[in-house]
Amino acid sequence: MTFPELNPVVGYVSLVMVAVSTVLIGIYGLRISRTTGDFYVASRTVRPWWNASAIGGEYLSAASFLGVAGLILLSGVDALWFPIGYTAGYLMLLLFVAAPLRRSGAYTIPDFAEARLESRNVRRITSLLVIAVGWLYIVPQLHGAALTVRITTGLPSWVGSVAVVVVVCLSVITGGMRSITFVQAFQYWLKLTALAVPIVFILVQLTGTGESITNDGAVFAPELNTTADATLYQNISLVIALLFGTLGLPHVLVRFYTNPDGASARRTTLLVLGLLSMFYLFPTLYGLLGRIHTPDLAVRGAADATVLLLPSRIFDGVGGDILSAFVTAGAFAAFLSTTSGLVVSLAGVVSQDFFRASVSGFRWAAIVSALIPLGFALLTDTLALAGSVSMVFAFTASTICPLLVLGIWWRGLTDAGAIAGMVSGAVLCGGSILIAAGLGMDQAPQWLQLPALWTVPAAFAVTITVSRLTANRRPMNTSRVLARLHTPDAV
Amino acid sequence: MTEPEDRPARVRVTAPHSAAGPAGTYPVSREMAEQSDVGELFVRSLIRSQLRLAVVVASGFLVILVGIPILFSIFPAVTTWSVATIPAPWLLLGLGIYPLVIGCAVLYVRSAGRIEQRFRDLVDDQ
Repeated sequence: MTFPELNPVVGYVSLVMVAVSTVLIGIYGLRISRTTGDFYVASRTVRPWWNASAIGGEYLSAASFLGVAGLILLSGVDALWFPIGYTAGYLMLLLFVAAPLRRSGAYTIPDFAEARLESRNVRRITSLLVIAVGWLYIVPQLHGAALTVRITTGLPSWVGSVAVVVVVCLSVITGGMRSITFVQAFQYWLKLTALAVPIVFILVQLTGTGESITNDGAVFAPELNTTADATLYQNISLVIALLFGTLGLPHVLVRFYTNPDGASARRTTLLVLGLLSMFYLFPTLYGLLGRIHTPDLAVRGAADATVLLLPSRIFDGVGGDILSAFVTAGAFAAFLSTTSGLVVSLAGVVSQDFFRASVSGFRWAAIVSALIPLGFALLTDTLALAGSVSMVFAFTASTICPLLVLGIWWRGLTDAGAIAGMVSGAVLCGGSILIAAGLGMDQAPQWLQLPALWTVPAAFAVTITVSRLTANRRPMNTSRVLARLHTPDAV
Repeated sequence: MTEPEDRPARVRVTAPHSAAGPAGTYPVSREMAEQSDVGELFVRSLIRSQLRLAVVVASGFLVILVGIPILFSIFPAVTTWSVATIPAPWLLLGLGIYPLVIGCAVLYVRSAGRIEQRFRDLVDDQ
């Protein structure tokens, strides 16, 4: 699969520039990272604006940058549920988790679980789940990087995955969370610019030709879709997965610990919602225009490349090269920022549970956390990016979400209930997805492909039932911990 | 009218002007720190109000969100309406949802802040 309209030099230049600037900002961060607290959570002193940009930078992954436009190309209006779910997930995070989690004073989700339930076993199971979620989420990022490098430079796919892992390891082990915050905040704005500048030029150019940008509405026609229309079940189950999966994602949660207090955690989330809403307009526009200008990608199985190829389809020569450089740089920034966010949060968990919680332990843990998913990514094939990411959301929503929500709001939660809920959620959701994958995505029934609609309520129900049955195991410190989670910071 | 000499001498009653706080009252912040029943009661009611607020905002949002595809499947005619060649489903899902999300978030942040302020006032009053 070659794309002669892309100039490989442009690809090389933009990839190298993003990689170098990421490492440089990481090194700048190193000069101000001094303590273990700096490494883990930037000593909890990051301002809401920085933090919101950093959360946006970290969250907008390959699935958002490339995958949303690719899905709009393939399935039209149904694809719009993805960005809605990704954004509204932060609303649920704000409502149920943000401020109390910040006040919990824990570094990671397993820390929170242990502090709340006074149980080493809950901690261990939570750690395993967090690590599994993180790895599953890194794999599609590396696939996205492989796709981008292959299409923009013509190099073999593995180069992209390896390059991302190398740059991430370099920037994480040099600066930890403090420098990552700068890198992520920078990358949000890089990604936004990378999509906004080319689309403005493209829209101006298309308006100049005098034709209707939407081809008099033809661009919206469902006949352009290459996939079947989604059913009501599929849309609702997807939205449930995305809404409740966001509040369990380890790299999202660790960011909330870097806010100075609970109220600023809320302000940060509000800003994030604004930043995400603004961002998702752009992939939507790329996907829409792609339905007229890059329809061949759907047939060639490269729908995720819509964003990368659209500028060169509209502009010839140097203009096309420059605009392609923008989107390529943005895409690479997307893999880098999400992967490094995940690696940092995983390293926090791995180093506390398996290494001494020290700076050098954190560095080793970061390398381990990045290399294992690299192995998976090199051994597996690329799926549609947005689709594979949504499975991770479904898994998180069925496992970590009940633990967090019930742990924060319900006195009755016990360690046995939490373990039963997490294990049954993991088995039900993971099992369904594996069976669906085994049957082949076309044959598998919808309730196995998109299980969130029934596995999330099931996990909550199991957690609550088992907690009720084991009410004598309620931890002694429940009242004290809940008071700490919910009392306003100044009191 | 009784004779003036029968009347007891008038005594002025005042509190001592000292730096120490009045005896007998107990700040809520200390009640909470010591996990007394009163502190526990305040925190429980704080948690209940915050949870009620979160659940109300979340269910309002979910009803509207899930309502959109249900609306489209019950009244397919709606999907053919369009503004400036853009069909209604694209407008609603691509643009319209985002102000709703942000609106819900602003509403929640304000109300949650107000609940906490009330809690703080309560603590300071004591």
